[in-house]
Order: sequence, then C-alpha cells, then structure tokens
Amino acid sequence: MLVFDQLQKNDRVLRALAWGIAAGLAVLLVGLYYVQVISAQRFREEQKNQSFRTVRLPASRGKILDRRGVVLADNRPSYHVSLYLEDRAIREQFKARYRQAKGNRRLTRDQQAQLARASRYEVVSNLVAELSRVLREPLAVAEAPFTRHYERSLALPFPVLTDLNPQQIARFSESSAIPAGFDLEVRPIRWYPHQTTAAQLLGYLVRDEGSTDEEEMSFNYRLPDYTGIAGIEFAFNDDLKGKPGAKSVQVNNLGYRQSEIIWSPVESGQNVHLTIDLSIQKAAEVALSQALNEARGAAVVMDVRNGDLLALASAPAFDPNVFIPSVSWSVWTNLNDEKLRPLPHRAMYGTYPLGSIFKIVVGLAALEAGWDPTNIITSPGYAEVGQSRHRIEDLAPPGDYDFRRGFLRSCNKYFVDTGLWVGLDRIVAMGQRFHFGEKTGIELRPESAGVLPTREWIRDNRGAWFDGDTANLSIGQGDVTVTPLQVACMVTAVANGGTVFTPRLVDRVEPPDAFDQRPRKAFAPGRIRSQIGVSAHSLSLLREAMLADVEDPEGTGHDAFHRGRHGPPLLENFRVGAKTGTAEVKKGRITVDKITWFASYGPCESPRYAVVVMVESGGGGGTTCGRVAQKIYQAIQAREKAGALGGIQAVAAISGGGGN
Amino acid sequence: MIPLDKSADLRFRIDKMQFAALLGLMVLGASFIYSATLAHQSNEVPLYNEPYFRQLVWYAAGITLAFVVCLVDYHGLVRWSYVAYWTMIVLLVVVLLVGKTVYGARRWFDLGFFKLQPSEFAKLAFIMAQAHFLSRPADELRLPANFFKALGLMALPFLLILKEPDLGSAIVLIPVGLVMMFAAGVPVKFLRRLILGVGIVVGLFVVDVLYAPPKWQFKLEEYQRRRLWVYFGRDYTSGLANAAERDKARNQQRNDSYNVRQALISVGSGGLAGKGWCKGTQNALGFLPRAVAHNDFIFSVIAEEKGFMGSVMVLALYSVVLFTGIRIAGQTRDRLGTLLAAGVVTLWFSHIFINIGMNIRIMPVTGVPLPLLSYGGSSVLSALIAAGLLQNVYIHRRSF
Repeated sequence: MLVFDQLQKNDRVLRALAWGIAAGLAVLLVGLYYVQVISAQRFREEQKNQSFRTVRLPASRGKILDRRGVVLADNRPSYHVSLYLEDRAIREQFKARYRQAKGNRRLTRDQQAQLARASRYEVVSNLVAELSRVLREPLAVAEAPFTRHYERSLALPFPVLTDLNPQQIARFSESSAIPAGFDLEVRPIRWYPHQTTAAQLLGYLVRDEGSTDEEEMSFNYRLPDYTGIAGIEFAFNDDLKGKPGAKSVQVNNLGYRQSEIIWSPVESGQNVHLTIDLSIQKAAEVALSQALNEARGAAVVMDVRNGDLLALASAPAFDPNVFIPSVSWSVWTNLNDEKLRPLPHRAMYGTYPLGSIFKIVVGLAALEAGWDPTNIITSPGYAEVGQSRHRIEDLAPPGDYDFRRGFLRSCNKYFVDTGLWVGLDRIVAMGQRFHFGEKTGIELRPESAGVLPTREWIRDNRGAWFDGDTANLSIGQGDVTVTPLQVACMVTAVANGGTVFTPRLVDRVEPPDAFDQRPRKAFAPGRIRSQIGVSAHSLSLLREAMLADVEDPEGTGHDAFHRGRHGPPLLENFRVGAKTGTAEVKKGRITVDKITWFASYGPCESPRYAVVVMVESGGGGGTTCGRVAQKIYQAIQAREKAGALGGIQAVAAISGGGGN
Repeated sequence: MIPLDKSADLRFRIDKMQFAALLGLMVLGASFIYSATLAHQSNEVPLYNEPYFRQLVWYAAGITLAFVVCLVDYHGLVRWSYVAYWTMIVLLVVVLLVGKTVYGARRWFDLGFFKLQPSEFAKLAFIMAQAHFLSRPADELRLPANFFKALGLMALPFLLILKEPDLGSAIVLIPVGLVMMFAAGVPVKFLRRLILGVGIVVGLFVVDVLYAPPKWQFKLEEYQRRRLWVYFGRDYTSGLANAAERDKARNQQRNDSYNVRQALISVGSGGLAGKGWCKGTQNALGFLPRAVAHNDFIFSVIAEEKGFMGSVMVLALYSVVLFTGIRIAGQTRDRLGTLLAAGVVTLWFSHIFINIGMNIRIMPVTGVPLPLLSYGGSSVLSALIAAGLLQNVYIHRRSF
C-alpha cells in the first residue's frame, strides 16, 4: 500500500520522512478523534449554550367561574408594541449611524463600544419618535433601559409600549407608516370583569419570578408571570397556573434572534368552578356596602342542605385589577388602611365577639339540660351577678320572660340566669358541637379559628373564671369570638336539624378544554362534619323562637322584615327565623365599638338557606344587619324564581331538616 | 532537456493517484467555501464575486500553471531558481515598504482583483533554490561554509517574512529547510547542532514571552504575544491585584481565545457524522468569525458539517498527496528531484499540520492556510505550482 510502502523504503532519509509524516498525521487523527468523538457531547453542549437562549413562557391562567359558569376571573388579551432589533433594516441603520458618527477618526476599543452604544440608542429613539407620531401618542425610550435590554436580553424583542388601548391598536394596525421592526404582540393578562365583586374571595396576583419545583432548568429569560397571593387565586394557584412552557431562541454571535423553537408547550391552567352565585354575591355586597357609610362587614349565604356557599361577601372591597400588571405604592397604602382593611376576608379571617347570637348555644344547652322553657324570669331591666354585684345592662324592658320572649327580646337577664343555671361546661360543650374555636376547613386561607373559652383555654390564658364570666359568656360577651362563617355553619346546623357541614366553596377544577386528558377534580357537596346531637324538641323550640324573633312585632328582627311595626312582611311566602346580636367591644370599661349581627335561615317550612350578616360599628343587629339580610333574601328569592339555584350537580338533600 | 514532442503524451505519465487526490481536495475546497460563505452575503452578489466561484477560477489558473511547470524538465527549471529566489526576496522587501496592511501585518500587494501574498511564492522559490544549492556533490556538503550558505538561503526569507509579520509562514521554512538538508546528506552533526540551536532559541523565546518582565521581552506584535499566551494557556489575570484590571484582563483573554474556542466548538460539535453540508451553525450564526471561516478556519467548517468522518477524509486525501510525493522522491534518479519532492512534501505537511493543529488547539493560531482548501489565490496557486513541481519530478524522473 501507498503508505506502508513508503514506511519501508530502503532510502534511510525518505523512510524517516515518511515516518515523520505518518506520525504527524496520526497525531492529528488522534486529536480529531478526541475532539470530535470523545468530547463531542461537551462541545455540542457548549455550542447549544452559546447559540440558544431559553425563554420561559407562562401558561395562560385558568378562569374562576361561579356556579352557573359566569366568569369571575378571566384573561383578556393585552397588546404590546415591541421592537424587533434583529430586523436587518435596523441593524443596517445601527451600522450606518455608527460609521457616520465615527467618520475617519481613530478610536480606542472602549471609545468604539461607547460610540456604537450611542449610535444604537440614537437609531432606536428616532424609530420610537416616528412611531410616536403615527400613534399620536407621546412615546420616549430612555437610554439606560434600552442599553440594558440590548446587553442582556437581545434575544427578546424590546418592549416599547405596553397594554395598548383599542384606539392605539387600531392606529397601529391600520397605519402603513409604521417603521420596520415594530410589531404587535399579544399576551393574555388577568382580568376581573366584575371588578370589586368577590374580590377577597378571588384574591389577587402579584408578579412572580420564581420557578415551580418541577422546573429544573434555569431560563435565560422569563416572560412576566403571576402567582396568586390570596383567596382562590392563592388556594388553587397550582391548578390555575398551568404548566409554563419553554422556547429556545437561536441567536447569532452578537445575540440577535435568528429563529425560535418551542420545545415544551405551555399547558394552560385549569378552571375553578365555585359554588358561589354571582347575583347573590353581588346583592350581598351591595346590601353590605349600603348598610353604613364606609361599611365594614361580612355576609355569608350557605345552602343548609349541603354546606355550599352561595355568597361570601366582605366589605369594603377592592378591585383586584389594580394588581395587574403591578400595584402602585399609593394604591397599596390604601389597601392596607389600618381601619378599613379591604384585603382580608372578614367572613373567615375576622374574629368578632358574637353577642346575643350566642344565646342560640346557651338556649340549646339549657333546653338539653332540662330547662323548662315556660319558666318565667322577671327582669328588672338589668342583671346583677356575683358578690360584686356586677351589673349587666339590658336592652329588653323590665317584665316577665319565658324562653320564647326572652329569646325574641334578647333579654340579657333571662339568659344570664339560664346560663348560670346550666353552667360553663355545658355551654362550652354545646359550643364545641358547633365547632366554635375550630377552623371550618374552607378551602381559602387564611382562616381564623376564633376562641371558645373551654376549661383548657381558661387555664392557659386566664387562670381564674368567675360567675361573672359565665354570665358574660351567656350573652356572647367576654372571651368568646367567632368568624361569620362559623356562625353560618351553626345556623345551618340549627336549620337542617343538626348537621354541621364543612363549608364548600369550590365545586370542581377542570381543564378548559373538554378534550383535555388531565383529570378533573370534583369536590363532593355535603361533607358532613358532625351531628350536634340535640333533640328534635329542643331544636324546634329554638327554631320557633327564632321565627318569632322576626315575626313577632316585639322581636328584634321584626322591623327589618316588615313594612312598619304591624305591616305586612317584605318577603312574600318566605318566612325567616333569626337571631340578632350586638356585641360590645370594650377597652377596659369603655365601649369602643359595636359588632352587630344577624344570623338567620329560611324559608322556615323547609329551610334551604342560612344568611349571616355581620357589620362592624353598626347601629344594632336588627336594624343594621337585618336589612342587609332581608335584601339578600330578596335576591335569593329572585334567583329561585329564575330557577338558578338548583344544585350544580344533584344537590344531596339532607333529610330530617323539615321545619314542623 | 527533453524534446518538446514528448510532452504531447505528458498526461499519461503523471501520477494519477496524486492527481485524483488533488482534484478531490479541490472539490471539497470549493463546496465548503460555498458553505462557509453562504450566510455572509447580505445581498445578491454577482457570481464572479462569490468566493467559491473565485476559488474555482484560482483552481483553474493553478492547474494551468502546474501544467506549464510540467512542460519544462525540472532540471531546466531549477536553473532559474536563483532568479526566482532573488526576485521573491526583492518582492518580500518591497511588500514591507508598500504592502497592504491588514490586521497590522504587511503581507499583501493589492492588485485590485487579487491580493498577492509573496510569501506563499517565496516558499516555493526557496525550495527550488535550496534544492539547486544542495544538489552539489556530497563532499562539498560537508564543508561548514556550504552548510552556512544553505542556512543563509533559509534565513533570508525567514527573517523577511517574520518582519511582515507572518510567524506561521516563516516558521514553515524551518522544517522544509531542515528536511531538505537532511535529505541532501548534510552531516547529521551539523543538523543536530542546528536543531539544538533552534530548540534553545525557541525555548528561550517561549520563556521570554510567557514569563519575562515587559522590559526584557522580545519585541513581538501585541497580538502575536497574546496568541502565544492563549496557546500556552496563560492566565491573563495572574499578578493583577486590582479588580478592575483583572476584569479587563479576563475580558481580553476571552476575546483573544475567542477564535480558538469557537473553532474547537465547531470541530467538536460536529461529532462523528457532522451536521450536514451547509448546516453548520457555528459559521452561519457568526460565532466562527466570518473573516476567517472560509480561509484559515475552513477546516472547522468541514469538521462541523461532516464530522469526524469528514476530517478523516480530508486527512486521507492529504496522505495520498504526501505519500505519493514521498514515492516520487524515491523514484527519481538524482538528488535534485528527491530534494524538490521532499521539500514540497514537507511544505504541504507543515501547512496541514499547523493549520489542522490550530483548529484542535494543538498548535497556536497562525495565518497558515490549508493547501487547496483554504480560500485565497496566492495559497491556491502556490499549492498547485508545488503539486506541479512534484508531477514534473515524476514525469521527468528518468531523463537523467
């Protein structure tokens, strides 16, 4: 063979030359083998790293819908004008401007870089000025952000104008004078079409730069993404968020974009269907906000048959749209107003003394302990307790009270005596059956547990307990605090014959597309927490008293539900049983605030809804909150007539509820 | 002298195997210059300005010249070798005075349509002159005076080319000269001393470049010094305390080693089979600098697009040329033919080794072209004339 023949030449010199050349070629061959075969993977990796930029693509967020499919949290397209710097025309302009500026001068490397930077900025700001003329919109681009973008994110288009209004979109797309390189980009962005409605329930979003645990890779760039901070947006963030995708942008040696490859498509977020009914929610919010000037309060509407929440309102509200794309400092300061505190949901996060509403618990405890409801207690118009003769005022006039009258007049003397008779332990035991002092287990965070002064709690937090404390507890004052949602659960149990439900706010989570293979999550209605185990007799006595509270002209809830003292009821064919409450918030011995309550259910004959209203600084339970509840019942009736309140799926009816 | 009528059947007597390998290299060269310059053209350029087309024109011109070279017996040819040699020396001097400066080096005459690089031809003239000088009786070669004359013959173009500066082309002359002296039968003891001397000078030079304080350093162009720093993997930041200076030095290092790194990435990312003709990204995306992709770094483009298999093919074609060259050196009946063939083979080999070596970082970066594959008129013409010389020796091997 050619090669080996030469290696065996007789001529010493040529043989040496042949060997030398063969050795040299062998060195090259081994070197090439090492680089191209053994180390190929490493260099391929390196080549990819330098010529690809990965961009994280956020998925479009799932919607939040009410029980009828009305969209509460949506996505709207937002239009941005971006400048594509890799456009050849623009790069030619960069070069031309640079050459023109440089002339024949000799420059150092640093000076060249500086001049190139300045030339690029000049070209871009001229282009933007041109665009500004076309859009008839004052536009300017600052040098620092442009240079930063050019140096760090060249693979992405340079954003010039974000979130265009329809007029701007029209001008942009219809004008033929748009300089080359500009283009319209569309991105979905969160939109709450009903603004403040259900704001605390839905929650809000903030910009998120983090990755989820599943995303192992690091990205060169990320497009803006959001994460839920409160409400459903927070609790179901993982479902709503979907899975972000990734694309690779191939860049050249200067970092300009050459082409794009999407190698992991986005998986859009899933929709969350709530049990909330938008019109009842709206009615509750409107009624709440009209209760007072700058009303602060909460309203809960629960289906007593299965624990579904139909409305969960908190006032004052805020508009979650202000968080998109980001919240301004002044708005944020307002949102954290010390007194109004619009952000947390008062129905589940706020804990309040519940006042006379607690008489439901005390009354049931007494009746179960054998208290005779026909016993007459004569009230002097106040109650005095213990040796210190601690005096408890009473809004009920002096006179004779049995259980029914004591309840409907909310007579403090009657319930102080009853409470002292039945004793702390039995009151607390009854409170525990309604799960006071425990979180209800609703899907939303944060939730408060409230306080029920059990013996254990007293030992840990107070030490001593006197009859005066029991007397205070009997009228819902002192240590006991609850959330409006807990009260709704209690009324629900009273109305349905004794079943305490875990409140249900989310019906199901499902992919937006029917053909999507992802599993849907359904949350069954009617998750029973416990039975209160109270005799039907005691319950019916209590319900009668609650009905009388509204229907007896003397009752504290009467006026809110009737036209005048002896007039006809405001609700047609809808009888409501209720208990009002007015709790005093004391600092030392001075009353600083009043928390007013209205806890009710209806219709009386076959209870379907529990409506609980709480207003801070209200005038009185009946007057302030009763009216709110009455308006909510009107909305409920309207929805029932429209046939809109059938179950989402088949409502699991609870038997034994009847109101006989 | 051979009668002219014999030249009529010249084509039947050339070394066909070598000729086929040369043709193969030319096909490769044109196609990969096409691929390497594909992405550069921003606008339509006329065909005659397309690099691959110009390269084809040079091939044609080169083949014609090689043919012309073959017409005259090499014995007749070398009589003109001193004329050629001194003409080239004059040109090398002139180019230092009026040559066109590109990247700080005066290596070219700008002839408008073509930039003539005299050093490429000076190498050939040197081979011919050296062969002529060394083909004297063996006794005379033992005289130190003749050894020093031969050395001087080599040193003159070496120094002139070094002055341009073109370190690579200059250095190529050393192995060529040494091999020719060795082949001519210059006493090994002289050569040993010469090699030792060159070795010591090179060693001192490297030590000086890398470690000497600035005042003591050998005068080199800044870029040459840095290329050597890069080759020897010197850390630029060593000895700098200031953070800003270190940053600057690090940047500098990145810039200086950029070409080498990108060439290595091109070659390495080609893998076994390559990405396919015209599908290399390193060149298309501009990571491999466009100014050098089609000439000094053409091998990177081939290696990226054709992979290890392509590299082996290139090496195989070159081996055919080199070993047929050695065979030709052995087939001649006189020392002149042997010396010419050995000189040409060594010249080709040096170019190949230095150029491919710099693509895989076993040699420092120099502007030594890859014969027939790199774009460039001077290089193509010189390579083909050299091949013509080989064929001439083959054709006329029996005429003495």
